[in-house]
Order: sequence, then C-alpha cells, then structure tokens
Amino acid sequence: MKTINIFLLMIISITSWGNDEKYFAQMSKQVHAVYTAKTIDEYQVAVNAFDRIASAEKSRWEPYYYSVFGNIMMAINEKDVTKKDSYLDLALAGVEKGKALAPDESELVALEGFVYMIRVTVDPATRGQKYSGLAMQTFGKAVSMNKYNPRALALLAQMQLGTARFFNQSPTEACETARKAATIFESAVEPQNPLAPRWGKEMNLEVMQQCK
Amino acid sequence: MKLLTLCLLLLVNLIAISQTKISGIVKDERGEPIPGANILMKDSYDGTSSGANGTFTFVTEETGVQTLIVTFVGYKPYSQSLELSGKEIEIKISLKEEINQLDGVVISAGSFTAGDENRRTILKAIDIATTAGATADIAGALNTLPGTQKVGETGRLFVRGGDGSETRTFIDGMSVLDAYGPSAPNTPSRGRFLPFMFMGTSFSTGGYSAEYGQALSSALVLNSKDIAEMNQTDIGILSVGADVAHTQVWDRASVSGKVQYTNIRPYFGLINQEIDWKTPPISLEGSGAYRQKIGKDGFFKFFGNFNQSSFSLFNHDILDPTIKKQLDQTNTYRYGNGTYQQSLTAKWSVQGGLSYSYIKNDSKIDGSPINEIEKGIHAKVVVEHSVSDQLEVRAGTELYSRDYEATRYNSFSDNVESFSFSEPISATFIEGEYYASNHFVVKAGGRLETNGLNDYTSVDPRLSLAYKPGKQGQFSFAYGTFRQSAQNQYLRLANQINPEKAEHVILNYQIVTNRKTFRVETYYKRYDQLIKFQNINPSFITNTGSGYARGVELFWRDSETIKNVDYWISYSYLDTERDYLNFPTAAIPSFASAHNFSFVYKHFITSLKAQLGFTYSYASGRTYYNPNKPSDEFNSDKTPSYQDLSANVAYLPKNNLIIYLSCTNLLGHDNIFGYRYSTTQNNQGEYVSKATHQAAPRFLFLGVFITISKNKSVNQLPNL
Repeated sequence: MKTINIFLLMIISITSWGNDEKYFAQMSKQVHAVYTAKTIDEYQVAVNAFDRIASAEKSRWEPYYYSVFGNIMMAINEKDVTKKDSYLDLALAGVEKGKALAPDESELVALEGFVYMIRVTVDPATRGQKYSGLAMQTFGKAVSMNKYNPRALALLAQMQLGTARFFNQSPTEACETARKAATIFESAVEPQNPLAPRWGKEMNLEVMQQCK
Repeated sequence: MKLLTLCLLLLVNLIAISQTKISGIVKDERGEPIPGANILMKDSYDGTSSGANGTFTFVTEETGVQTLIVTFVGYKPYSQSLELSGKEIEIKISLKEEINQLDGVVISAGSFTAGDENRRTILKAIDIATTAGATADIAGALNTLPGTQKVGETGRLFVRGGDGSETRTFIDGMSVLDAYGPSAPNTPSRGRFLPFMFMGTSFSTGGYSAEYGQALSSALVLNSKDIAEMNQTDIGILSVGADVAHTQVWDRASVSGKVQYTNIRPYFGLINQEIDWKTPPISLEGSGAYRQKIGKDGFFKFFGNFNQSSFSLFNHDILDPTIKKQLDQTNTYRYGNGTYQQSLTAKWSVQGGLSYSYIKNDSKIDGSPINEIEKGIHAKVVVEHSVSDQLEVRAGTELYSRDYEATRYNSFSDNVESFSFSEPISATFIEGEYYASNHFVVKAGGRLETNGLNDYTSVDPRLSLAYKPGKQGQFSFAYGTFRQSAQNQYLRLANQINPEKAEHVILNYQIVTNRKTFRVETYYKRYDQLIKFQNINPSFITNTGSGYARGVELFWRDSETIKNVDYWISYSYLDTERDYLNFPTAAIPSFASAHNFSFVYKHFITSLKAQLGFTYSYASGRTYYNPNKPSDEFNSDKTPSYQDLSANVAYLPKNNLIIYLSCTNLLGHDNIFGYRYSTTQNNQGEYVSKATHQAAPRFLFLGVFITISKNKSVNQLPNL
C-alpha cells in the first residue's frame, strides 16, 4: 500500500513537474521567437504558437500576453489599414482574455494602451482625439497598478513625446517619464517570473535620444 | 523500484505508440493556399502553422477522438473531429471568409455615415465641427454633401427636391419633433442638437431602412455618445455668448451636461443687418446625457435638451416701408429620450425607447397673439436576432402620438379661434439583412403603418442591395416607398387628410481606397398624395398633388494626396417639378436649384499649430412666383445664383486652449433667396417686389475654448 502511495505521489509530481517544464520550455522558445521576429510571417508563426499554448494552459496569462504583443507588432508592420485593424481587434480580444486570468497585471494593461496607440496611426486625424486620450489614460492606469513597470512608462513617454511634437513644445514631460523608465530598465532585478516581459528598452532609448 | 521502472517503461511505450502524424494543406474557398494559418489540437500544445504554400505537418501525442482547429485572421475558424490512433492522417482544409464589416460589401445607396471607428465613413464626426461655413451645425456640415440643396434662408436640410420638413431627425432611433431652433422669417435656423453630443451620424438621402418612418425624403440618424472616458470641464467664451460643459465619469456610468447662453445683441450693434430688430434673439439652452451600464450587458442612455429663446422685430410693408408690424416670438422647447439595450443571448438582443418632445410657440403680431403647442411621444421596441453570421433580422413595433393645438385671436369676430388634432400612429417593421458573401449583401423589409387620425393604413416595402465585384469598388441599389403626415398647418385644418407619399429608386457606385473616396449616384423619386388646394383655395385641402425629382450626384474626397490637407467636392444635379399646394400647374418649387456645388478644404499647418478651412458653395438660381405674370408662367422667374466662400481658423496655442475664428461669405456676394411681392397693386397696377437678402452679408464668430481635465492633451477641437 505504502509503495503504491509513493508511486502515485511520484507520478503526480512527475506529470505536474513535467507540465510546468513543458510550459516553460515551450514559452521560452516562443518568447525568443517573438522577440527576434522581423516579418509579419515570423510574428504570425510565433503568435500561432502562443495561441496553441493558451488553448492547452487555461489558467496562464503569459501566452495571451505574448500573442497580443505579436499581434500588435504585426499591426505595426502591416501597411493595409484594414488588416492593421483586424490584428488590433485580435490583440484587444487577447488582452480581455488575459485580464480575466490576471486582473491585476499591469503589463496586460500596458499592452491594452499600446493597442489604442496603434489604433491612432490608422487614421490620426479622426482617431487621434479619442484614442490618444484613451491610450494616455490606459498607460496611466498601468503605471498606477505597478509604478515599476518600465514598459508602461516607456509607452507613456512615447505618447507624451508625440503630443509635445504635435504642439511644437519641448518634450520635458516625455523625457522625465522616459528617464524613469530607463532607470528601471537599467536596475532591473531579475524578475521572479522567468516569462515576465523584457522588451521596451530600445524603444525607450529612442525617446531618450530626443532629450539632449 | 522494479515495479516503478516497469511502469515508467510502460508509460514511455504508451507515448511512443500513441504518436499520430497529421499533414495537409489550408486553402481558401477559391483554392488559394493560406500561409500562416494556425493548426492545433484543441486543449493541447500540439499543432503548427501552415507554410508558404499552405501545407503543414505535425505530430500529436493525443489519442482517441480529438478536435482539430484551424484559424486565420479574416476567416471563420474551422474545426473537425479526428480519431487519433497512430495512423497517419492527411487532410485538406478549406477556410471560409469571415463576413467583414470593415472590408466587406456595405449598402451605400443613399446613405452617408459619419463616425470615428469605420474608415469608410464619408464624413467624420470631427468634420461637422471643422467645416468652414457650417458654424458647428450638423445640418450646415451635411449641406456640403451631394443630394442637398442650398436654401440659405432656412438653414435646413432640403434633400433631392424635397422640402425641409421632409427630413426627419432621430436620436438613438427615437423620433424628434422640430429639430431646428426657431428663427426670424428668412434667417437661417440652427439645429437644436449640438454635434459634440454624438459619436455617429447617419444621413440618408433616400432608400433608408424600414425602421424609419414619417419621413418623405431623408432620415438623419444621430447616435449619442457612449459612456464618457474622463472627467472634464469645458468653458467657451464666444463673441455671441458663453457656454460651459462638464463631464463626470464613474466606473459604469457617466453624466455630461452643457449650458449655453446666446445673445446676439452686442454683435448686431456692430454689423449692419437686413432685419429691423426690436430685440435680437436671446437664447438659453442646455443639454444633458446620462449613461449607465446595467448588469452584464444592459445599457441605459438618457438624452435631454431644453431651449428657451425669444426675439422681436418689425416687418415692413413692401409698398409703403413706413408701415410696419411688430412680431414678437418666444419659443420653448423640451426634448428627452431614454433608451435601454439588453443582449438576451449571443444571438438575441432587445432595445426599447421612449421619447418626448414639447414645443410651444408664442407669437404676437402687433400685439395679437398666436399660440401653438405640440406634444409628441414616441415609444419603440426592437428585437434583433442573428440567425447566422450571414443573416440578421430586426423587427420592431412603435407608437407615435402627437397632440397639436393652435389658437389665435380673430379681431373681426373678437373670438379666440382654435385648431387642433391628436394623431396616433402605430407601426410595425421587419427587416432582414443577408450577407451572401463579402461581395454581395441584400436587405429587405417592410413597414406597416396605421394612422388613427384618418384611419389610413399603408404597407411600405424597402429593399436595398450591394455588390462588390473587386477589392474596392461597389454597386448599390435601393428602392422603397415612404410616407409622412401632412404638415401641421394643413393637418389642423383638414384632420382627414391622408399622409403624403414618395417612392425612391437609387443606383450608386462607390470606390473607397485608404483615404480617398469617389461616389456617383443617380435616382428617381416620385411624389404622390401631396397636399393640393382645390381651385387654389387654401381652405379646400386635398391629396391630389404629385411630383417627381431625378438627378445625378458626384462626390470626391481625398485626404491622402497632399500632406495635412483634406478636401472634398460634391456636385448635385436636380430636375424636379411638382403640382401641389397653390400651384396652378406642375412647376419647379422655389426651394429647388438645378446645380449645387461645394468645395470643402481643410489644411492643418503644423508650424502654426492651426487648422485652416475654406468652403465654397454654389447653387444655381431658384424659381420664384411673380404675381405680375400670367398664371401659365407660374414660378418661371429665377433668382441669381447663390455663392458663398467661408473660412475658419482654429489655433491651438496650448494643448487645452483653442481660439476659433470663422467668417461666412468672405467675398460679400449679395445672395438673393427670392422675391416677396406686395399683397396689393401699386398705382401703376403692378405688384411691387422686394428681394430677400441674407440677414447680414457676413457672419463673424470668435470663440475661446478652454478644457480643464487631468489629461492635458484633451481639448475641445472635436466639438468645435
């Protein structure tokens, strides 16, 4: 009886450990793929993989996070405005699914704001007013959820820079935000979650370059 | 330990034998391969993406009956059950295109939509604010679109040979009575509803949905905004008054309100006016909106508006200008509507609404009062059902109830005369929209209407369809019959008079690329049962009038070719005649002009932080009645053409501050809208004419708008 008990315990631990390992292994591979993707096709393959993982792992928010990230990147690279919107629709649906699993995750909210930011680029003259405001507000929300989220700050800095440029003003506010983001990027303590997002440092540097 | 090893071995073995190889190809309906499609076994990690030639291969460790799912953006998800036994599976997958609201075919015959979301809208919400000459009036901006005729002295929407009263306004699907503010005779009135309250406008110049009744020519459907996103306060200081607006946002609700005070008196002191004002117009108006989410998918909207305005002026006799009559007018207006929307299931939803309009007009001509009160209630319930992702059915029932009373003092009989009517109308409509594919859509329906005042029942069919042969261009067709009760001044004298009737046939071609739009439309419209006076005697009102209108319209908009420049051009040709009211024979009505042209230009100058706009409008001469001519030359005289060049500048010195300056008729063209004749002949036996000019040659407007909110990038630009 004792043997069987131990055996069962082992089986259980092996399978669960096995699942975790499989999850981290698969995710790490795809996270690398999405960070190094250059073309829409490459992003699509990575996004597909995240969607498959999300279909198997029903309680994890990270696959949705990276699927959304990939969709946003595709939207940025896409020229056709209708397709751009389709990718952003998928991204927003992913954000909602992720938020249902991790309602307090600042990173997901930052991506939500990113979606709105790219929505503006489809038709700045008419969408600017609504989506710029919405993006600003959402980035603000992400920062208030976690003031050490450098991506939320870096995206906010981008929006602030855009606004300053539009009004021909000095980008003081944007630079201040970007500097805050940079400090966090530089001093980043290795996150507990190995799958935590790590992108955004270069994007922030671009804003910083306007600050000399 | 031995046992364990055995077990593990067994397990490994099991895994080894349970691998199934799945390969195949993903294509679209036309047989073109789809690369990048996601192929996965449901609830597992297993799967892959299709390659450049649409093919895929993967190995799954799942066993038994499992579901294979294939997805790709723009296509419907595909799923299929597979028995996984280790035996290799080869599969051909054909993905069906998703019906795409953004890129697919849409019915465009007769309709213009203005909104933010859809790039294909002809006019954006912001255009209403930034079109020069429109002075932030909804009708003013829509008057630059094809299908409208410039009737400068009214400020109303005259569509395709239709009179201004033939355009009906709806807010969130609910009827509005008297959508225009009061104005002095021959001065343009403004729409009562401020454009900033709405996120979308749909302006139909014909062939509209069975949902809309009581409109002969045109339906203007305004959709009020959803829950506001942030708290803000807006203050406007205008050359003719001031306004203040505030929006407060909660988690699931928002409330916004605006109060505006207009006093044109100081302005009229500066600029010479055509009108002999005793007291120029003063008005106080306010509007409010409340939005609340209820439960999971319930949504309640309330919209309200009030307006109080008055003026007093002198009308001079044409023969002897020293004889004048004083006209005092006070207008009280209240409008409120509440709508509630609830999804019942994923496929069923229901909407209900109630609106109330109250209009009180108190006039005095040389102290002799004429009073008018109209009250209207509109109640409506609509059920929507998605039968499939291709077929959508809407059905609804509604009730209109109007009470009208006019009283006037008759000095001859020393009596107060009263004319009144109560008109209940009940209507039911049903309409189905079927998307055969992304290339073909058909919408068919009908409307059953019963008018309780004159026991008149009608059934009106509506049909529209659109075909999109290629990627961008599309053809649309629309047909329908439309009815509207006679105007109050006739209905109050002859309660039994039947509704007037119009029949529309429209053919349209439209091509939309990223930021360019071209459309051409032609139509034929037949009027029937129009009000006509028997033997030209206005007390014998009959339904024997008739008429027609036909024309061709062109529209071109380009916001792509020149950087920071957006312009559009519209041209309408109209050929119309009617035999109605006091017309001795069929003739061109005096509100119709054969050629209408608009050129709207907007330029954003980044270095100046300013938006500059110009609008040039042209309308060929309009007919007028000359009593000195024999009756077979009725309405055969024409006014000179109408021309107007308006400009505006919006300057943004700071993110939240806008300085706005606009001026109409820069060139000071003397526009003549028509001629009025003396009621009696002069000594030479002639009726003497007097031209109706613009109330003032130019209208100059200056405003300073300040927005206070947490978010400093927000300003009032979209509202101007």
